[in-house]
Amino acid sequence: MSKVYDAIVVGSGMTGGWAAKELTEHGLDTLVLEAGRMITPEHDYVEHVPVWEKRYRGLNDPKTINANQPVQKECYACDEWSSKFFVNDIENPYTTEEGKPFLWLRGRQVGGRSIMWGRQVYRWSDLDFEANARDGYGVDWPIRYADIAPWYDYVETFIGISGEALGLPQLPDGKFLKPMDMNCGETMVKEAIAKQFKDRVMTIGRCAVLTENHNGRAACHYCGYCERGCITRSYFNSINATLPAAQATGKMTLRPFSVAHSLIYDKKRNRVTGVRVIDAETKHAIEFRAKLVFLCASTLESARLLLNSATPDHPNGLANASGEVGHNIMDHIMGGGASGKIDAPEDKTSSGRRPNGIYVPRFRNITDGPTSQFLRGFGYQGGAWRDGWGRGADLPGFGAAFKTSLRDPGPWRMDFYGFGECLPRHENYVEIDKTKNDAWGIPVLKMHVTYGDNEWALMKDASMAASEMLAAAGAHDIEPYIDHNPPGKAIHEMGSARMGKDPKTSVLNAHNQAWEIPNLFITDGSCMASTACVNPSITYMALTARAANYAVDLLKRREL
Amino acid sequence: MDRRTALRALAGAAAVPLLTPDLHALGRSVHAAALHRAKQVLDPHQDATVTAISDLIIPATDTPGAKAAKVCDFVDVLLTDWYEPKERDALLAGIADVDARAHTAFGKDFVDGTPAQQTALLTLLDEESVSWHDMPKASRGAEPFYHKMKWLTLYGYYTSEIGAEQEDHFEIIPGAYRACIPVHGPAAPTPGGM
Repeated sequence: MSKVYDAIVVGSGMTGGWAAKELTEHGLDTLVLEAGRMITPEHDYVEHVPVWEKRYRGLNDPKTINANQPVQKECYACDEWSSKFFVNDIENPYTTEEGKPFLWLRGRQVGGRSIMWGRQVYRWSDLDFEANARDGYGVDWPIRYADIAPWYDYVETFIGISGEALGLPQLPDGKFLKPMDMNCGETMVKEAIAKQFKDRVMTIGRCAVLTENHNGRAACHYCGYCERGCITRSYFNSINATLPAAQATGKMTLRPFSVAHSLIYDKKRNRVTGVRVIDAETKHAIEFRAKLVFLCASTLESARLLLNSATPDHPNGLANASGEVGHNIMDHIMGGGASGKIDAPEDKTSSGRRPNGIYVPRFRNITDGPTSQFLRGFGYQGGAWRDGWGRGADLPGFGAAFKTSLRDPGPWRMDFYGFGECLPRHENYVEIDKTKNDAWGIPVLKMHVTYGDNEWALMKDASMAASEMLAAAGAHDIEPYIDHNPPGKAIHEMGSARMGKDPKTSVLNAHNQAWEIPNLFITDGSCMASTACVNPSITYMALTARAANYAVDLLKRREL
Repeated sequence: MDRRTALRALAGAAAVPLLTPDLHALGRSVHAAALHRAKQVLDPHQDATVTAISDLIIPATDTPGAKAAKVCDFVDVLLTDWYEPKERDALLAGIADVDARAHTAFGKDFVDGTPAQQTALLTLLDEESVSWHDMPKASRGAEPFYHKMKWLTLYGYYTSEIGAEQEDHFEIIPGAYRACIPVHGPAAPTPGGM
């Protein structure tokens, strides 16, 4: 008889780290299963390896990446330094319906995608939690801002978020360290927007990068390449912060190379009793037992795990009486925006590489009733910069004077890049593709996901409104654009096991607890009933901390 | 200040794991190997031609130029296994074409011309390259060799240790973000971007 842990957490990334921290700090003997390898910052982080030490000087190794990572290479961060933090697509295949491309960008290692995440942190508001109820898409969230606000506070206080408080109802303020500064170009545009638009405001990005020493982690030194790791632990990832906290309790067992295959279900007790794992190195099957299971494996992996856990009594997968597991897949649509040249001071520049940009919070449809031709809204990330030496290739001249002319920075430019909300729709779904297995013999997912008219309408308006703001700031050579990114590209996939008020139409209750199986919790992006238009990680983390504390209470009251 | 000292200074009261010396040793050895690599694709004449063109584009001034930064090695690496065979062949044909143009202009290979002859030919190529770039994308045809060569020179130079550190004042660890500073101020390192 093998050991029975108090809890198993599947996944060690953004949410797995939080589940591990909370459960162990409450004394639970917790096993964290991670599909990928161990990451040792001293050896694996590469943020200070300069470009001249890379064979292709940052242009990537096309032969290797095309052979091994034809999907992953679509992510900007999967570069000559950080491609090792992304999965091998040959070992980790998936399939898509004809005509419905989908990018599944993944990191399988201790730390998961929290190593390479974009670090932007924005709270949801009741505008977001009430959105489904208001327009009828998806199901109503079982929680409101008041339910999650204390958990945002709790998570933000631990991880450290820099940002500016604005007092906006649609984008609640958080527990902020001092904000990063805007450069002179951004300040100019911000002032123009403030003067000419009553409904819009531009602020510095709110991000999980420390501007001050915080909880034993050092302030940012502005080397600029967070996605390659951070030896000073200045941005948040689970290796830098939550997993060490869990480790410090002495209650965590972290097991890398443990590919979750399926959940073990006890029909008599209606409980999950553990997780079947394929050891990634030996390919042997192993079973681990626990009183409680947290799925923090990522939106699509957690759905895959539930679907692959089908039993004769649960032919559609575990926790899936509603039939909603794997459905309602969403990702932020992104890439409607505009860029242009701005007349910021020629004699001013900036130094240091700020790992953050600007943010324009949502301003469409924020009062009662839709006022646009579309539902919901979008926000912008972006920034201003000056062209560098790269502009020289298209400029006339060569020789000493040409070289000297490139010492001064080039024209100022400003870009607004829109991120829009995606509607929850049942017909966007994933299922098990029984014809294909991954390298560990586990059936893979087949994706059936597309954006609809509303998403494209959002991007069209985002492009137009970005051009408007640039024009208001006196920009010239304005180029509006709409990138036709396939779903998945924003790496904000959500919704595969949504929370709700009714077991008939949702998978999880208000505490991320499976309606059908009381000792099963799912706290990664699966649980999201809608997407808002803001980056989701902080919400996953707050929900995870909240659910873990709830689960501990139930366990202590012997109600699990 | 070396990188480790800088990091330790920056860390302040926070506990920071130290970079292992091995890591830096590895980085240095990779770099040293790159500096002394034998050419895989460029023959000595092609190598000399690429070196000459790149050094005319980015010559030594108060900082070293493209030749010292071994832009030709970077070009050879890309020709070895970065470019598709078709692109590689086009680039090599472009090098040969420079010699053909040199023979028409001054009756010798490019590398055997005087500095004035080389500069005159490059001026012509540079003008053609800019005109090509200014044409509408749909109708302008294939990228001229010189346009590609100029980009390779800039990229290879500014991403070399010499170009990045001495010419571009690239700092691996800036230590701070100074949002709005004079371009010609006392301490205004450039951002190290393209």
